[in-house]
Amino acid sequence: MFTSNPFADLTVFLPPFAMQAFIVLMIIAVAIGTVLDMLHKSSAKFFALHVAKSNAAATRYLSGAETATLAVKTVAIEVAAAGEFCNPQRRISHLLMFYGFLFYLITTVAMIFGYPTHAMPTPVVLPVLWNIGVIMILIGGYWFFFLLRVNVVHDGQPVFRLVLADLFIVTLLGSVTFALIWEFVQTSGNLAATKITFGLYVFFTTLLFGSVRWSKFAHMFFKPVVAFQRRVDEARGVSSLPAPATRNNRS
Amino acid sequence: MPTFVYMASCDGCGECVDICPSDIMHIDPTYRRAYNIEPNFCWECYACVKACPQNAIDVRGYADFAPLGHSVRVLREPDKGLISWKIKFRDGREKNFESPIRTTPWGSIKSPSAYEMPGPDAFKTQELAHEPEALNIEKLPALTPISLNQGVV
Repeated sequence: MFTSNPFADLTVFLPPFAMQAFIVLMIIAVAIGTVLDMLHKSSAKFFALHVAKSNAAATRYLSGAETATLAVKTVAIEVAAAGEFCNPQRRISHLLMFYGFLFYLITTVAMIFGYPTHAMPTPVVLPVLWNIGVIMILIGGYWFFFLLRVNVVHDGQPVFRLVLADLFIVTLLGSVTFALIWEFVQTSGNLAATKITFGLYVFFTTLLFGSVRWSKFAHMFFKPVVAFQRRVDEARGVSSLPAPATRNNRS
Repeated sequence: MPTFVYMASCDGCGECVDICPSDIMHIDPTYRRAYNIEPNFCWECYACVKACPQNAIDVRGYADFAPLGHSVRVLREPDKGLISWKIKFRDGREKNFESPIRTTPWGSIKSPSAYEMPGPDAFKTQELAHEPEALNIEKLPALTPISLNQGVV
């Protein structure tokens, strides 16, 4: 089950072109949703104003090499290691979902476009990585949903009271949960059950990528930019925070 | 001056929600970030400002003079046992202060969510949840009916 391309088996009732068209539609939906989200929140305008203020208040200017170093640090710490989280449990959960989602997304696209039918044998590494990605998202996602959501743990809200902020995590979990169930059912050979579970997988996946305007999906694009700008501000002496204390009260 | 949250800096850890004595720091249902739900009820104790690990909470005046450019920014350094304040006045002056945070190590006090939920019998007492044990005393001082009668004609 974990070593065969689940999308190649779909050709029993779905032409390969259908899933390829679905992927293209989802990419378009994410692009449109991100633009609408930026327009709605005026985040691009806010960011441009902030950069202009920062440029005006800068006490020193950075060379190209310094800027590149800050960009590398942002990618290595804030993006690759989820460095902004102060709670280690949330950090681990986020990293599981982040890397799981990357594996899941890249291998999905590779299998659908590169190996759409069994006529071209799929390298085993692709379905294995796809399943590893799904399992990583499930572990990190359900851990976050039940035990780490701040409105549940700190604000005392019931676990199953869903708010708009839950749209991303619920649709992501729905998508990967039904991906795994569909893969399992498809392996068992029951066509009707395969169609139902595949339909639910497509439903939640469409909701995940089609709801970017209302969900937290676009944070994966904004957050690295904000983190980089914060590093640039600090390096140019624009930070509004006080300078670190010069004495130590503990010693 | 009440507190507010820079949503781009907040990572939604919930420290301010736990520490706010006025119970006005809550989690926004759209973005899952902290916000002050009722600035008018803010005691201005700045507990949330000091507790925020991301330095995402700032202080601002009410609407009549808020746009004039003042700010209060805080940097907490628990390893040094210090908190630094940068006060910017609206005429451009700036003052910087350093003050000790507290006498016990940072993180040594249990958060409210670490306590067990009180049972129904707790409603029958005059004491708040987990009193007097959480205050490290055996009994709270209280007036007795006899002491209330003293001095009454």
